[in-house]
Amino acid sequence: MATPRVRPLPVTGYSNLNALGSSRAEILAALAAGRSGLGPPAESPGFETAVGAVTAALPELPAALAPWSTRLSRMVAALLADLDEPLRRARERWPAERIGVVLGTSTAGVNATENAYQAYVAHGTLPFDYDFRRQHTFGALLYVVSNLTGARGPMWVTSTACTSSAKPLASAQRLIAADIIDAAIVGGVDTLCSLTLRGFHALQLLSRQPCRPFSSQRAGISLGEGGALALVEREGEPIVLIEGVGETSDAYHISAPHPEGRGARDAMAAALEQAGCRPDEVDHINAHGTGTPLNDSAEAKAIGALFGDRVPVVSTKGYTGHTLGAAGAIAFAFSAYAIEEGWIPPSLHADPLDPELALNVPSRVTRGRFRRVLSNAFAFGGSNVSVLVRAP
Amino acid sequence: MTATAAVGIAGLGLWLPGFPSLAAWRAGRHDSEAQAPPGRSLDRVSRRRASFLGRAMADVCAEAMCDAQVDPATVQTVIGSAIAESATLLGLLEQMWRRKEPVSPAAFTMSVHNAASGLISISFGNRSFTTSLAADENTPAVALLEGIGIVLATGQPAVVACGDEAAPDGLIAEEHTWGPLAGAVVLTPLQPGSRGHARLRVRRPGRATLAAADVDPAVSRNPQIGLVDLIAAVAQGASGCVGLDRGSGLGWGAEIEPCRDR
Repeated sequence: MATPRVRPLPVTGYSNLNALGSSRAEILAALAAGRSGLGPPAESPGFETAVGAVTAALPELPAALAPWSTRLSRMVAALLADLDEPLRRARERWPAERIGVVLGTSTAGVNATENAYQAYVAHGTLPFDYDFRRQHTFGALLYVVSNLTGARGPMWVTSTACTSSAKPLASAQRLIAADIIDAAIVGGVDTLCSLTLRGFHALQLLSRQPCRPFSSQRAGISLGEGGALALVEREGEPIVLIEGVGETSDAYHISAPHPEGRGARDAMAAALEQAGCRPDEVDHINAHGTGTPLNDSAEAKAIGALFGDRVPVVSTKGYTGHTLGAAGAIAFAFSAYAIEEGWIPPSLHADPLDPELALNVPSRVTRGRFRRVLSNAFAFGGSNVSVLVRAP
Repeated sequence: MTATAAVGIAGLGLWLPGFPSLAAWRAGRHDSEAQAPPGRSLDRVSRRRASFLGRAMADVCAEAMCDAQVDPATVQTVIGSAIAESATLLGLLEQMWRRKEPVSPAAFTMSVHNAASGLISISFGNRSFTTSLAADENTPAVALLEGIGIVLATGQPAVVACGDEAAPDGLIAEEHTWGPLAGAVVLTPLQPGSRGHARLRVRRPGRATLAAADVDPAVSRNPQIGLVDLIAAVAQGASGCVGLDRGSGLGWGAEIEPCRDR
């Protein structure tokens, strides 16, 4: 398998939004306190489950962008507002057409289309303010981001289910390496919606209670929403560096992971290879860790095969829920926190640990020097992405 | 101006309503029965699961990979589609809101944008890089950019396929609806002595100097039509710039120059 040859990519700003909060301080406080953002859904879907809903007030879009206003685009606006200063510097440094936008989402505007379709069924017409091309499509998100930031470079949405927002980090690496752009806004967002709740319920993958990744009592996923964005630049003052990204496929099953975690292991190995880094140089893994028996088992085997049981492995899904297409970007943000802050949170509700998993899963805040952090995202379609981030 | 480094185009594949392959379209052999792609290149289980789009994407990838003589088990795959599995999605919304039924788990798993790339990787036993992306009418251009990026970074070939099913009934104004299509190109690194159809650079602005492909008007409104225009120009051995969005996108173009040894 070919491993791309690209150099470490400076991250000069990042923002994060999820059920724990909309500011770095709020999110770190919740992580440090072991406080989950999961709770019952605002509207009952007709079955018992817990979700990680974003409760922060979201900004309205400027009047000119009102027809594009959806929960998804307003989440992106909130994340961009937090990147305002590094974006301003990037605009001064690089021509607008050399600033790209590569974002990930799995649901795009499904939430808006669901609401419109309900009205369509009830009244026979779509709501007057619903526009499929401005609210549902992936291009709508790009239009909003381009207008809010002034970025005019290549722009696309990657949609590979739960790896959607991890892949843009690699795409930006390649675009910069190929001298097509100098900077990019990367990451992704996803919103909660009825379809995903009912779909995962139909697959019998949802936990009734808040999820418990790596626990012997784990019983499935809790869905969440949110997103994270990062500004990456050819050169600049890095907060962290993206050192390697591994992307593989399971070629096994459309919705179930390979039971031995074959593709997951290959993705982690590819990220290490790209970085020229040994497994024992990785200080922490932010796992995909969704909390289903099969997913956690496959990932644990993959981690064990490469890293043994030395490296501390945390799933942050117990705090935020599984944010689907946004999960990879949010995991990146948590990796960056670990490097910057020098501590990692406990893997929430993992006790009692599943002894079959043979992982080092911390049950309390762990302090240390985290130079290199790997994060995982795995998805329907057998898509696997591992992102290796290191301190500058 | 933005312009990529050059790569080779080593394989082509095409599906249009009535034309199940590039060869059929070039020869003008219209088959009125061929209104849905057969998905012959998918394994039996995947073919049963695949949507119209999934079957079309698999078949054009297979045709292009065969043309380029690359290994389907290792080639990197970029799939572009503006709305991808929207028909499956709308079926699920019908289940939920009109028929008040539980969501079909099988349909739900196939509603993701990367359903086609997942089935292709499973059918071809391909464990390497795959991705699925979207950018409305700019999808062909950015799929090529992603493909060129991965080819340059790895030195290995990539198949870039773009397609969209017919526009969903009722959700898009009738004047903006379109007919289905799918196309694929295999991109390779340029090496001394390498064989292929053409050399390719993607650029913006990319003012078209080559004529657009002659297709059915409904198909010409498909957001992926730019890739068909590129495939048609390369197949004809043309030299010049192909517009990748027929004026409805950000103005990306594909500069092509035929390889002399083909």
